[in-house]
Amino acid sequence: MARISAQGLTKVYADGTVGLRDFSLEIEEGEFVTLVGPSGCGKTTALRMIAGLEEITSGTLKIGDRVVNDVAPLERDVAMVFQNYALYPHLTVAENIGFPLEMRNVPKAERRAKVEEAARVLGLEGYLSRKPRNLSGGQRQRVAMGRAIVRRPAVFLMDEPLSNLDAKLRVQMRAEVQRIQRQLGVATLYVTHDQTEAVTMGDRVVVMRDGALQQNGTPHELYEHPVNMFVGAFIGSPAMNLYRGEIVRADGQLELHIGSQSLELPPELVARSPRLAAYAGRSLIVGIRPEQLSLPDPGNPPRSKRLAALTADAELVEDLGNELFVHFRLGVPRLSENAVAATAGASDESVEADAGVARVAPRSRVRSGDRVTFDVVVDGLYFFDEDTGAVVGGRSSSRRGSTDNQIVAEANE
Amino acid sequence: MSELTAKEVTSRRQRRRERARQQQADEGGVPLRLLGVKRRTVFFLTALCIVFTIYTLIPIVWVIVNATKTQYNILTTFGFWFAHPFSLVSNFRALFNNVDGVGVYFRWFLNTLLYAGVGGIGATVFATLAGYGFSRFRFRGSRSAFMFVIAALLVPVTAISYPLYLIYARAGLINSAWGMILPSLVTPVGVYLMRTFIDASVPQELIDAARVDGAGEIKIFRRLALPLMGPGFVTVLLLNVVAVWNNYFLPMIIFSENSRFPLTVGMGVWASHAAQSGDQNIYPLLVTGGLVTIVPLAALFWFVQRRWNGGLLVGSLAN
Amino acid sequence: MATSISLEQSGSPQGSPTPRAKRSAWAERRDRQGRWFVTPFLILMVLTMIVPLLYAVRESLYTTQLIGGTHFSGFQNYKTIFTDGAFWSGLIHVIIFGAIQIPFMLFLSFFFAVIFDLGAARFGSVFRGIFFIPYAVPSVVAAVIWSMLFAPSYGELVHFMGLFGLHNFSFYSSGMIWPTIFIIVIWEWTGYNMVILYTSLKSVPRELVEAAILDGATLRKVITRIKLPMVKPAIEMLVFLNMIGALQMYVEPSIIGQFQPQAISDSFTPTIFIYNTGVNGQEYGQAAAAAVILGIVIVLISLTVFALRKRRGEFS
Repeated sequence: MARISAQGLTKVYADGTVGLRDFSLEIEEGEFVTLVGPSGCGKTTALRMIAGLEEITSGTLKIGDRVVNDVAPLERDVAMVFQNYALYPHLTVAENIGFPLEMRNVPKAERRAKVEEAARVLGLEGYLSRKPRNLSGGQRQRVAMGRAIVRRPAVFLMDEPLSNLDAKLRVQMRAEVQRIQRQLGVATLYVTHDQTEAVTMGDRVVVMRDGALQQNGTPHELYEHPVNMFVGAFIGSPAMNLYRGEIVRADGQLELHIGSQSLELPPELVARSPRLAAYAGRSLIVGIRPEQLSLPDPGNPPRSKRLAALTADAELVEDLGNELFVHFRLGVPRLSENAVAATAGASDESVEADAGVARVAPRSRVRSGDRVTFDVVVDGLYFFDEDTGAVVGGRSSSRRGSTDNQIVAEANE
Repeated sequence: MSELTAKEVTSRRQRRRERARQQQADEGGVPLRLLGVKRRTVFFLTALCIVFTIYTLIPIVWVIVNATKTQYNILTTFGFWFAHPFSLVSNFRALFNNVDGVGVYFRWFLNTLLYAGVGGIGATVFATLAGYGFSRFRFRGSRSAFMFVIAALLVPVTAISYPLYLIYARAGLINSAWGMILPSLVTPVGVYLMRTFIDASVPQELIDAARVDGAGEIKIFRRLALPLMGPGFVTVLLLNVVAVWNNYFLPMIIFSENSRFPLTVGMGVWASHAAQSGDQNIYPLLVTGGLVTIVPLAALFWFVQRRWNGGLLVGSLAN
Repeated sequence: MATSISLEQSGSPQGSPTPRAKRSAWAERRDRQGRWFVTPFLILMVLTMIVPLLYAVRESLYTTQLIGGTHFSGFQNYKTIFTDGAFWSGLIHVIIFGAIQIPFMLFLSFFFAVIFDLGAARFGSVFRGIFFIPYAVPSVVAAVIWSMLFAPSYGELVHFMGLFGLHNFSFYSSGMIWPTIFIIVIWEWTGYNMVILYTSLKSVPRELVEAAILDGATLRKVITRIKLPMVKPAIEMLVFLNMIGALQMYVEPSIIGQFQPQAISDSFTPTIFIYNTGVNGQEYGQAAAAAVILGIVIVLISLTVFALRKRRGEFS
């Protein structure tokens, strides 16, 4: 049981494309770290480099205290679970699970014992003599895990192992995977494109984009204190609502203008976010999490001065019983996490077709087509630079530890 | 011109090596480094391939070189290099003549084109129809019928050639092109291959959707299934054309008239003539004729390879 | 030839509502159309394969004599052949030849196929193209060319052997004739088999190999435990096809026999025996009987191979 230490890992392909850029990550013994991002962000590349399936162009990789850059995968003591399970179709479940032991010439009796033990952990006892083609998706997935755990490796690497399962099974298996990992206490790096999965499973979550690491922190940190717009909009469901706005200085106060509306920014907020003042007269991108929008209770007066008002057209109301989602339009286009001027991308990638989403109290009176005025928790707003996407003020600034992440974000600009 | 520093030279070499490794990884899938294949192993294996290449090319080179020689030269000069006079053109021209009453090569060539063309295409059509029928329909007896087709592979060609001859004698089909073409239309292997291919490439849902839309089976076959079968069709077509082109035993039995022979039988006749008579002219013709027999098929393969890339799909059908 | 109707087509269980019965009938009607696709081929097959085969069986029960004409002779022809050592020696020879040639050739084909699949040799695609060329060469032409290369008087390979001090080496001596045929047959078919195995190997997903590497498999283990088992179906098919070809070998010895009559006897292979007996010797009944026996031998060997395969376990 050891830690993984990746420092500055970079992958450049023969034709010049950069798959991974300066990737650094430390994983402690027993930690479950999820690696998440959209396709092509480099998460699988990073995983494969740690496994030894891809060559490391530059950077150092240590497993335990040993530099393993040039060490064969077998010698690294890592086990990998592939997205498509990669089970050997001509071998039985028992032979599949026992294969790594067979390759190391473990004697038959010992092999059988270990296979049976693994099968017990995974609930596969009755299936040992079956072939993969006679198993369901979930069972195959478990066999793949069995093959990984039977060796008691130092590190588990998992490449989107649950992607091929149906939704319900996936949720079930998430718990299974976590249980097994905790039981075995092995350092695990888990790649997924599903942010919900990443956030629910990981002790720590690493967000990646375009080959670069965006942020590395606990799910809480990522949610509350994203270092840039991408992380802010990527983590959290429903996603953060992003709009272009302008900071205007009026009467010695700073105001946020979105479209034709303006929101007063209380001086405490400005004090907390010193860099915001520099944006006076300029536009930036503001992020509003769905739960920062609420509908005022007509009976009670607004409770806090920290609320501002935002008027919108309610397009669709989803009543989920315990909460209400109001899909609204502000009259200004809602932006996606890719809407950063610095990155070259198609313009239609930067604009969201969907309406903004607000999460309001379950029994609020609102219907589709209504014109509503939301109470906005101004304290909870995020401000991002429109060129770099980096966070420049708002909620993020008030926490310690986020400075490290900010440095990371800045380094990636 | 600037001088390269030692560092630049090594990095350039490194890059080239990395590129070669990358190319190999793209082709073979898993990089050799991972498999523990060292450079000297690659060298050794490449050498083995060269050895086998020599073995493969000996007859090819020989036939190309000797098609340019006169009979005297074939028998006397070094087999793998040219000699005076360079007689390729005159040898080739001679193929159009009737050689000592034992046949006109050119005639045989046209025959072979006919038999292989019609037979090959026809065989593929029938095999495709049957393969489709077995693959996408479940009618009573389809399993048994399919086993029956496969079992036909066990029937020795030699056993049925002479009876076919006798039947043809009754039906007046001796020396008829149809006598050659009809049996060539039956390829159990073709049916098996097409069925496997159709199983894999024509989704049942597509057909079912069309059926629900009310389309007739023939229309479904023509409009939906056929376009999807392209690569498999081409592969089986190629195999069938080659099979008919190379067929020797059947035409030998059923054709008595020289002018009906395909290339294979004709060459056999020339070979026996060459061996038994002291003919002075036959050897160059034999060699040149052999060369010309090979060229069309080789060209066909090369052409198909170019067009449909990725080599023949035969093996994938074999799964 | 009727098989049990598949469940889909079977009539609806008793008491089920009408719509179900309608769909069943529609499905059955639709499936029956499949027959139309299959029938043309089956008709041709019966006409050109089954009928002649039956005819041959019938003929094998008759004997033709110069005087007296044709008369029914029951199993007389079979008896003659059973007691005639020539046919059996030819048969034994091809069986032994096949037993040696097929594994050797498949090993060679698999060896190269794996090398190219792994990319373990440079210029793989070039080599593959070259190795496939012999398939484009008809057996007759191949046999003629090789015969001329082996020719005692002017054959280049004979000269070549002279370089090793083996002057006037005879490729057609009774000891060398089968190895000589071996050289020719390997030349003709290795490339074809290799291409089939190569394409089959290519379909093994890359992830399986990666998983095996992570599990600690060496190259040898990857080949023997992963790649080889997964192309087993292709190998089995090739064994089957090659075996049928080997047992019916005709062209190569026949052409060699033209150039070197003393090297090839009249019963060198079963097919040569059949041809000589039937066409040259005009003893058609006997030839037919021999053909039938050959057919039965082929079936028996196929069934044995088939049974061995089934016994060894999974059969797809």
